Amino acid sequence: MSAYRPQFEAALRLFARVSEAMKARGFDAPILVGGAAVELYSLSAISTGDFDICTGRQIEFEEELQKFGFVRPSGPGIATRGWIHPDLQLGFEVVSASLLDGMADRDRVRMLELVGDGTASIISLEDMIADRMGQYASGTAREMLQQAKTMFSLYPDADLDYMEQRIRYETAGEYGVETLKG
Amino acid sequence: MVSKPSKANPVIMTLDAFGQDVLSRRAALGGEINMPRNSGTRRTESKKALLKAIEDAGGKW
Repeated sequence: MSAYRPQFEAALRLFARVSEAMKARGFDAPILVGGAAVELYSLSAISTGDFDICTGRQIEFEEELQKFGFVRPSGPGIATRGWIHPDLQLGFEVVSASLLDGMADRDRVRMLELVGDGTASIISLEDMIADRMGQYASGTAREMLQQAKTMFSLYPDADLDYMEQRIRYETAGEYGVETLKG
Repeated sequence: MVSKPSKANPVIMTLDAFGQDVLSRRAALGGEINMPRNSGTRRTESKKALLKAIEDAGGKW
């Protein structure tokens, strides 16, 4: 058993199984982004029940989700692009076709083995921090600065040159690694 | 310490090993870390509907 909460590990395992199914069909593995990636990198310092996914093969990914028991919520007033797994009580949603608009280096994607279920691909820490900083710079998600700072403090061995480049891009040059210090 | 991945030589860690690494990192910072939850102000209508559906299914995240 891992150090993660059981529900989160179960969700990751399901994601790994769907990822393996995608690869078996000859497609690139989908990539986990967003709050669930923050939960992974912080060991559940925040918890999330919905997984944001990046894949250029949304239709095929959602076909696989259905094979694994996911359903699209329906009912009066419900309009979502996401899918839920009724038994595991979690949701997956494809949020983009390319990783941070194609600006993130896919070679840096973190791969984790979920023994017995397959491999899950996760956005890199550096890109995750840059994404948080981009949201902070937009002025609509001020809490993202602290998320970025905390992840930065957890990973002093991160690639600072790449992170600087990515933060500058995501914030239109307004912020850099220096912003995360102190 | 977690190694940096690369396409030519991808580092594939197990979730168990990765979790232990993060545990060590958190311990080095004193255990508790300040990680504010998302305020939710940027949620799309689709995301709001999905979270409600999860909640209706009994999900407590």
